[in-house]
Amino acid sequence: MRKHLLATYSALALLFLHAPLLILIVFSFNAGRFTRWEGLSLHWYRAAMADPQLADGLLNSVIVALIAATVSTLIGTAAAYGMWRHRAPWLSGSLYLSLVTPEIVTGVSLLALFQWTFRFLHLHLGLATVIIAHIAFSIAYVTIVISARLRNCDRSLEEAAMDLGATEWAAFRRVTLPLIAPAVAAAGLLALVVSFDDYVITSLVAGVDSETLPMVIYAMARRGVSPVVNAVSALIVVAFGIIILISQHLQAEDESPT
Amino acid sequence: MRRALLLPARLWIALFFAAPLAIICAYSLLTRGDYGGVETPWTLESFARLADPLYLAILWRSLWISTLATALCALLGFPLALFIARAGRHKNLYLQLVLLPFWTSFLVRTYAWIFILRDTGLINTVLSSLGLIAKPLPLLYNDGAVLIGLVYNFLPFFVLPMFATLERLDPSLMEAAADLGARPLSTLRRVILPLSAPGFVAGAVLVFIPCLGAYLTPDLLGGGKSVMVGNLIQNQFTTARDWPFGSAASLILMLASAVLLAAVMRSRTARELI
Amino acid sequence: MNRRAFIPTLAAIPVLAACARDRRPRLNVWNWSTYIDPAMLTGFENEHGVHVRYATYESNEEMLAKVMTGNSGWDVVFPTHSRLAPMARNGMLAPLDLSRLPALGNLDARFRHPAWDPDLHWGVPYMWNATGIVYNRTQTAALTAWSGLWNPALRGRLTMLDDPEDVIGACLQKLGDPFGSTDIRQLQAARREAIDQKQLLRAYLNAEVRDQLVSSDVLAAQIWSTTAAQAIHAEPKLSFVYPSEGYPLYCDCASILKESTRTDLAHQFLNFLLEPDVAAANARVAETATANGAAQRLLPHDPVLYPDNEIYARGVWPTALPSDAQRYRDRLWTEIKSA
Repeated sequence: MRKHLLATYSALALLFLHAPLLILIVFSFNAGRFTRWEGLSLHWYRAAMADPQLADGLLNSVIVALIAATVSTLIGTAAAYGMWRHRAPWLSGSLYLSLVTPEIVTGVSLLALFQWTFRFLHLHLGLATVIIAHIAFSIAYVTIVISARLRNCDRSLEEAAMDLGATEWAAFRRVTLPLIAPAVAAAGLLALVVSFDDYVITSLVAGVDSETLPMVIYAMARRGVSPVVNAVSALIVVAFGIIILISQHLQAEDESPT
Repeated sequence: MRRALLLPARLWIALFFAAPLAIICAYSLLTRGDYGGVETPWTLESFARLADPLYLAILWRSLWISTLATALCALLGFPLALFIARAGRHKNLYLQLVLLPFWTSFLVRTYAWIFILRDTGLINTVLSSLGLIAKPLPLLYNDGAVLIGLVYNFLPFFVLPMFATLERLDPSLMEAAADLGARPLSTLRRVILPLSAPGFVAGAVLVFIPCLGAYLTPDLLGGGKSVMVGNLIQNQFTTARDWPFGSAASLILMLASAVLLAAVMRSRTARELI
Repeated sequence: MNRRAFIPTLAAIPVLAACARDRRPRLNVWNWSTYIDPAMLTGFENEHGVHVRYATYESNEEMLAKVMTGNSGWDVVFPTHSRLAPMARNGMLAPLDLSRLPALGNLDARFRHPAWDPDLHWGVPYMWNATGIVYNRTQTAALTAWSGLWNPALRGRLTMLDDPEDVIGACLQKLGDPFGSTDIRQLQAARREAIDQKQLLRAYLNAEVRDQLVSSDVLAAQIWSTTAAQAIHAEPKLSFVYPSEGYPLYCDCASILKESTRTDLAHQFLNFLLEPDVAAANARVAETATANGAAQRLLPHDPVLYPDNEIYARGVWPTALPSDAQRYRDRLWTEIKSA
């Protein structure tokens, strides 16, 4: 009986987690502005697609997320691997510290850094500064995911490979890397999401040409209830849902031969 | 070669985390410029100001709300994590389900709750059309709404480490307890809970620390009527244009978080979960 | 397709799109949201063969934080009038060359030599509004003064702006003190008023309150006249009133940043904004009062946005306060918010 109780509870908990989004999506099809159902309509979707700020924001978000996720995954994987083989207390400590730093502090400190260096370099805030900031806070997430996976890996496997004549790099590439590949993919995906979702840090270091989607949504939400935000959210959920399904499918594909 | 792998990370963190932090430390010791910005003289005034009862009250309030949110996350998250850990083949699917809302923007999630809790929002509209209430319930713009928002946003942060602990629990321990005559509730209380302590600690830290620094959720869902530490800091860097004071407050907040994290890191099993 | 090919393919799309961005000369304009008619921007772009990079902000502070050290990348911004003097003093603004702004004569007489910038050295007045009170006529008694917002009958259905200047100012004016008072005793009294009011207050909200007024969640609100006009258009049962004790007026001005390297083009843009049909189109989109007299004649008269002379006389144009007074008010605001 307890099993059923647990299952029921979990179903309710998952419902709690998903209900607000489902509701947003349902009401994105509402013809009216408020909660009275006034009929089915795609009006808000049309408005969302026609909004140039939204389109620009989406493009910027995608560009930033892809670049930041790729670079931070590379750097983070290298760091996790390096820390697995050698102790690096300062790096490890800084990474954990960057995780617990409140976003507003990260954002403001980076703004301060950029403002000081740009006095001398004559550069501007923009997409590049946003990308730099995103890489800075994503590295920690990536490192943690991959470190967790590496903890369960046997160091002696690499050593065995080297005893058999492989170079350090070959040992890594052919022994360890395949073992941590799923974690790298997961970490990359996590970095992608974290970057796409970020508002606070991005808004502080963005400049010309660098409004991201969360910034546009925030401005819209500040101006009052607008079902256009519902429509945009619905589109985001569906898009990410599809990405997840594809990535799950790819993972299953990779795992099926074994 | 392996040491060289650490270099990119070291460089990036040094340039874009440590250096900015150093600037913030410097700012906290300077004086507020005439119209914002900073200028000399160097002074400890910003830190001294923090000792004011007004700001201590704000800190206390933030600690209280964060503790409450963490406790709720633990209460709601533990059974869910337990369920997923025992789900066998479908573990991964359930985990993905828990994480799915996170793929949308944080703002969108908070905005959804405004949509639900408003006077003309979903809950009130449903309840009043069912005739259960005469006047709308004031569900929004209070501490309750802020708690709901915080718990909603940070629940997965608790569920994941909790799941990681529970997954590694040796099932034979529970079988042994059952063999010795313990009933399920007893097994829970005397075997599972103590063994899952590292998960509780890890999850609590991952929820508590971000809650402490949150400002968007209390701002949007609390109606601006209460100030948490995150709001205070944000206010100093924007409206009040008092960067030294904001920097000092940020450093104190980070210090508190770092101390908490260090305490957790001492527990080896908890460390492996974060 | 396997995983290895998936990510790079996904990455290629936006990179290709980014390369297709255009190469015309640029002008970077940073303005308040919904403060311009997009068709006007396109018109300017076509007329001068340039690309206007347009983005929006929600508060002066947000804009100032980026603009303060002189490398934000923007050319034209729209500060509120009280920020012009401090910004100029701190070297953030480029002085205007009035000879390059022939359309300046279109400005309404009130704004040709405004109190905050008589020679129009730093900013061209663009749009203006005031803070007042909106209330729902059918559900509450008529309000005529700030003191009406302390009515216990409005408990839980009342909002104030999330802005220290407006809230503290309203409390000061309610007590009969000047809006920009720096007297500690008066400010303390205002603080007490605000904290008393907090028990009746639903929330501190800015433009978001519009929808709650329309849906009757909120019965009375301290609100800007722009938002009020929008709310009244959506729900005619609402009324706007300029409080009898006095009220603040705000003017957003078009300014050129000192860091800008495109001052010629920026001047052309400012002049473009001064043309009557352009200003009228912008005012229609922004739903706010324009400082352009010629444009006003092209627009329907809205008493909510354009108060008559007698009411206008009660209005106050806030000025930038000295540093320590500002600091004191900041602390008061924290005290009020955390009470």
